[in-house]
Amino acid sequence: MIPIENFLILSSLLFAMGLYGVLARRSAILILMSIELMLAAVSINFIAFATYLDGEAFSGLVFALFVITVAAAEVGLALGIVLRLFRERRTAYVDAADSLKW
Amino acid sequence: MTDLLGNDLNLQYELLGPEIALVITAALVLFADAFRRELKIGQSAIPAISILGLVVALLLSLLWIDENKDFARLVTIDNFTTFFRVLFIAVTVVVIIGSHEYIERRVSHLGEFYSLLLLSTVGAMLMAGARDLLTAYLAIEVMSFSLYILVSLAKSDTRSGEASLKYVLLGGVASAMLLYGLSFLYGVGGSTQYTEIAAALSDGTSTLELPLLLGLALIIAGLGFKASAVPFHMWTPDAYEGAPIPITAYLSATSKAATFALLLRWFAGPLLPAIDSWQWMISVLAVLTMVIGNLVALQQSNIKRLLAYSSIGQVGFMLMAIVTISDQTGSALLLHLSGYIITNLAVFMGVIAFYNRTGREEIVAFRGLAQTNPYLALVITAGLFSLAGMPLLAGFLTKFILFQSVVSGGYTWLVVTALLASTVSLYYYLQVIRQMYMYQPEGDASRWRLSPTGYLATGAMLVGVVWVGVYAAPFYTAADRAIAPLFT
Repeated sequence: MIPIENFLILSSLLFAMGLYGVLARRSAILILMSIELMLAAVSINFIAFATYLDGEAFSGLVFALFVITVAAAEVGLALGIVLRLFRERRTAYVDAADSLKW
Repeated sequence: MTDLLGNDLNLQYELLGPEIALVITAALVLFADAFRRELKIGQSAIPAISILGLVVALLLSLLWIDENKDFARLVTIDNFTTFFRVLFIAVTVVVIIGSHEYIERRVSHLGEFYSLLLLSTVGAMLMAGARDLLTAYLAIEVMSFSLYILVSLAKSDTRSGEASLKYVLLGGVASAMLLYGLSFLYGVGGSTQYTEIAAALSDGTSTLELPLLLGLALIIAGLGFKASAVPFHMWTPDAYEGAPIPITAYLSATSKAATFALLLRWFAGPLLPAIDSWQWMISVLAVLTMVIGNLVALQQSNIKRLLAYSSIGQVGFMLMAIVTISDQTGSALLLHLSGYIITNLAVFMGVIAFYNRTGREEIVAFRGLAQTNPYLALVITAGLFSLAGMPLLAGFLTKFILFQSVVSGGYTWLVVTALLASTVSLYYYLQVIRQMYMYQPEGDASRWRLSPTGYLATGAMLVGVVWVGVYAAPFYTAADRAIAPLFT
């Protein structure tokens, strides 16, 4: 059996890449994709733990399922809001969203 | 019925009566709005249906006072849940009564607005009641998703879309961090049930110190975002300024209180055995939040932004109660939370009434309000003084009890910091009051009156502010009974 550490390392790499993307990217769409990476890391973690834990193993798998569903809903919602910004400013770059400061 | 592991499941759907009633109302509101012409009903029917549904939900939640049951091992129905159900329903009722004129004129998509408001109330209620990490997560997202959209619904205001974008992106990151933390908690605790995590953590976790610490830090960061604690507060002023004012009021009341309900449930329940690992994290967060929130508020010129920073400062005070968590500080926190919500709603209802008349939200626009509308000036002044902690008003008493309980919890230095921050806050509240009383009105100096519902909402909140300040015994008993199930 593959040791659980491997899964955890994979998920932490994915999570770190996602977090970097959120901080470094300026396009709202790419930020959303980076959030998706972070959520994928979460799913991997839950599934790995669920497989290695006895007893209530299913709750982790169900959790992963819900994370995937909610993530899809979140992207749909966020894209709608990005679209609104695009209609108003003709750009999806978050730097353009600068009318609110301090 | 039993689940796969043979646990008995209690599928008594009456336990979720209030939530079910609100979801049905939300659907009805959408339907009624879509077929308004066919059904021959006016615009005002929609808030009326919402209020009706909220009242039904309120009565249904009062059925479960002093019960202690759970629904399918997912939601607990005890006095704590009932307390927050009543609180959240009351907030939504006040917001709807006080601002339906504002909503009719300045919000696009009326039906969606009300139904999302009701759905986010459902999410908040479930956050207070959850007893499983999955329920808690879904409840958080139900509330947040509704709020992301609500923030963006201000008509012809480009700030609204921008505020919503910042809120949804940062909210997504915060949720991801929270979830990543929860996955570690699941790995360490071996279950998503609060009770079983608590049992696993108190068994001794020396071999799993690192994942637990990492999980806790991520959970605190995620929840710190939802509660707008410094340094995770950046979205707060922007979302508050861009959102329609009723939603700003709602954000500062329900979304904050729901996060604290969740914090109390988690940190007094599953995470209590790990108190040594998280106590210092929360106390750092509390100090940063109250100091920075109150200092940055000093230089604000927009009333919504000022109130945003003031609410950040208040979150700092409330976090102190989590640091020294016990039944005493818990009940003090519940009392302070209700006093703060009443006070904040008083100010916001006043600001909404003012905005309906003038369409302005800068602090200088309040010049001479004491002459043009002395009643409204009185309401806003009482609210601001109460936020600053003046005697005879809600803010003084609840803050006093909160600070006292934190001192007896052994964190005197936190309270000293809080007192200093509180003194700073008096300055910027007085700035607003000065504009109202010390200056002549600009332009139109004629007297004006509020609408009847405006009088109702502001009057009720004004009475509430004084009532809690003078005779808080009933609230105190309620808070005591609400916190009891968490510490048995």
